[in-house]
Amino acid sequence: MKLGDEQLVALAQKGDQTAFEELVQRHQQKAYRIAFDFARDREEAKDLSQEAFLRAYTHLNNFDGRSGFYTWFYRILVNICLDYKRRQKRAPAEEFNETVENQIEPSHPTGNLATPDQQVIASQLSRKVGEALESLPPKQRTAFILKNHQGLSIREIAEIMQTAEGTVKVHLHRAVRALREDLSEFA
Amino acid sequence: MAGNENSACKNMEEDLVLYYYKEVSGAQQTRVENHIKECAPCRLYMQEMASILPSTVMNDDPPETFWTDYNREMRLKLSEVREKKAWWQSLLGLLQPWPRSAIAMAAVVALALTITLGKTFWRSQEPPPDDQALIEELPVAENLEFFKNMEVLDAMDFLESSDSPAKGTT
Repeated sequence: MKLGDEQLVALAQKGDQTAFEELVQRHQQKAYRIAFDFARDREEAKDLSQEAFLRAYTHLNNFDGRSGFYTWFYRILVNICLDYKRRQKRAPAEEFNETVENQIEPSHPTGNLATPDQQVIASQLSRKVGEALESLPPKQRTAFILKNHQGLSIREIAEIMQTAEGTVKVHLHRAVRALREDLSEFA
Repeated sequence: MAGNENSACKNMEEDLVLYYYKEVSGAQQTRVENHIKECAPCRLYMQEMASILPSTVMNDDPPETFWTDYNREMRLKLSEVREKKAWWQSLLGLLQPWPRSAIAMAAVVALALTITLGKTFWRSQEPPPDDQALIEELPVAENLEFFKNMEVLDAMDFLESSDSPAKGTT
């Protein structure tokens, strides 16, 4: 019989090492994708998601079961990703631009596109999307990524962000409005 | 409220976004759908969202080797955390046989020693008081001399004023 997340957490809290490794196996792909949406870089996403698992493991005794493990863990992950973005923003501008270029180019394969024009447009769009997402305030970016990229419900996002559902709706609306303005030329 | 050519109706924008993400239902959904049928700018807004928003998602599908490495690294990092945890637990285990009262007594003695030694140290840092007092007293002494002279002058004025009516009367 397959154990639920909360049962695995209870076992891990008692010192069962394989129980936590099972939780990692279960959530690693989704955790990686969320981290990738924030970092837009494969190696950074790997490091960020692994850091979230380690932090969850270290603070496992703080998990009291009031929310699901899923919500508790993704809250940790989102906070780690936002910290990473804050650190990245403090880096010098030249270094930052270079990083953004490096992050975006390999993930948007332009080789399959038919014409050089299409490749140029795809590359421009990729860069512009990265810039537009970067320019969003952290709460708007989080609400947008969790909804648009991960398909979570407003209620789930509110639980992860520890805020009211109405507030998430406002963040999401503002994020969409800003992105629409920034990316209107590609519509 | 009708929107202009480039923007949706302001009072509908948030509902349109929620409708796009299928987060409205019932009466709210019907209201949005009826509005979109009648309002061209809001229809355009919906079309733009449908065109722009999916393009913001970057699909990344790492190969199988990536996940093998991921799991190997994760197990390694977890074992490091466990070792660190075990080290702390063994350190705490060393303290456990001691009764709490003994640990509390040791803390009190350490605090008392810190205060005593600290006081001695700060006292030795202060300058000798005698020279400083002399420097401060000198101008005061000079002023005293000055005030004494002023008292003599006052006395002379008093004598003169007390003499003059007598002179007048004589």
